[in-house]
Amino acid sequence: MSKPNAGVSNENTLGRLFKKNKTIIGLITTVLALLFISPYIYIVLTSIKPSSDAISPSPTFFPRELSLENYVAMFNQMPIAKYFFNSFITASISTILAVFLGALAAYGLSRFSSKTGNIFLLLTLCVRMVPMISIAIPMYIIINGMGLIDTRVALIITYTAINVPFAIWLMIGFFNNIPKEFDEAARIDGCNIFTAFIKVILPVSLPGLATAAIFCFMLAWNDFLFALLLTSTNAKTATVGISEFLTAYNLDLGPMTAAAVSFSLPVMVFSILVQRYIVSGMTLGAVKE
Amino acid sequence: MTKESRVSICFFAPAGIFMLVFLFFPVALLVRDSFFEIDMIAQGRGTFVGLSNYIEAIRSERFIGATTNTLIYVVVAVCFELILGLFFALLLNTAFKGHGIVRTIMLAPLMIAPLVTGLIWRFMLNNQFGIVNKLLYDYNITSSRHAIQWLSDERFALLSTIIADIWLTTPFMMLVLLAGLQGISKTLYESADIDGANKIQTFLYVTLPSLFPVMIVAVLIRTVDAARTFDIVWVLTQGGPSNSSEVLSTYMYKTLTRYGLVGESSAMAVIFIILLLVISSYFLIAMFKANKK
Repeated sequence: MSKPNAGVSNENTLGRLFKKNKTIIGLITTVLALLFISPYIYIVLTSIKPSSDAISPSPTFFPRELSLENYVAMFNQMPIAKYFFNSFITASISTILAVFLGALAAYGLSRFSSKTGNIFLLLTLCVRMVPMISIAIPMYIIINGMGLIDTRVALIITYTAINVPFAIWLMIGFFNNIPKEFDEAARIDGCNIFTAFIKVILPVSLPGLATAAIFCFMLAWNDFLFALLLTSTNAKTATVGISEFLTAYNLDLGPMTAAAVSFSLPVMVFSILVQRYIVSGMTLGAVKE
Repeated sequence: MTKESRVSICFFAPAGIFMLVFLFFPVALLVRDSFFEIDMIAQGRGTFVGLSNYIEAIRSERFIGATTNTLIYVVVAVCFELILGLFFALLLNTAFKGHGIVRTIMLAPLMIAPLVTGLIWRFMLNNQFGIVNKLLYDYNITSSRHAIQWLSDERFALLSTIIADIWLTTPFMMLVLLAGLQGISKTLYESADIDGANKIQTFLYVTLPSLFPVMIVAVLIRTVDAARTFDIVWVLTQGGPSNSSEVLSTYMYKTLTRYGLVGESSAMAVIFIILLLVISSYFLIAMFKANKK
């Protein structure tokens, strides 16, 4: 318990307004929060209904009986396992690449040239403003020209390119917080600049690397636009596959819910486990520590 | 050149080259293509047509319509997210028993794919089997099970996509604002107390102004993200019916893939980038001024 009173000491604002009624506020907030996530719970519950109940004209929130029909149907209707595999491979490889390239670049900028670093930060912020679709259009032309349409390589390249600026931006903050004495000590011990980076700096900055990796992976895993544009059959990812339940098999909403849950539930559980990193990544830049 | 900067370049080079080839070059190509008329099938370099792609885009009713829809989408979604997010942040900031668990519940949708969000709402807003219409009917808000055709009625299609967006991203807003609230110095509240400010005054004159810089950043991030929305709209309505929920991203996607108009879609994409840069620099200036105070 490093911050036992983190919340209590901050009981300002509404806390002051309703100090006595804290329990009531707690109850109300809990109910509201549950209501807020009920759409997701509803989808999870629907996916384990028999498929006729999933498209019943008078739907119920809770299942009347449990069934794995929708999950079986999901595998029967399309090679969904292959699409999941594609998603996983492209997301993993692009994450490794982006974090590695990003960490190298961030280290260089943070240690040796703060001015260029600042200019670069501004540039990456600008890149963030560029809408995905604006990058997707020329990317499509380039990938097409390289003959890489419908390959996993095309997606790996694209995701890495989009993620590198973000990884740099995030890692610069982390490296700036690591004292330069660390590098110097390693150098005295006989490391050169590169081995000092790999043996000393990277291990210390694991939390930063983890945060960057989580966000890079999520961007690639959740991507729909690029996968839709750049793939057709071989390299098709899970998001595109799931969306096809809507078009090709219009009334198969049951298997669609099964696929949506299979796709998102592991991620949700994982993101709850690594919430600390996600929170630090998301509030970065908005809130000064 | 000093040794230091040479080393720096070595570290930076791999990422730099990668971004140059696969990020900055594409943007440059986009700008170039926007001045050309290009045949996708012939794969030629195209013919230079000057500004005509831009003129065509600006003149086209569909582009204006998509821009208007994008603006409505952004303004309505971000406003509701800000209000809802602030509401939840203030509630959670009261630090009631178990607020940590409730926060985790609220943050659960944070990492859900926009695509899955679209699917969830497509399922719930379905005309025939949707639970939303059933609930509205059960609670006597509407007179029939099929009173509102959420996704196929021109009046409701855009609204439906906005609802899905609000659901997906309110947790983000809440998270950032909560962090902002917890960063407000306690002494500010103490001095407000000494000055005899009542609770509403404290909220209006201490909490809100202190939260303002954080709010601007959160709104900026969300504005840019909401403007780029594609997945949610594509899954829910594909921009229909009769373009009533068409936003810039879906319209550009169609211009590129369905009509093969590389030049025109590039011109629109350039206009889009400029619009976003103008809007975000407006925010950044506001933030700068707020920080100076």
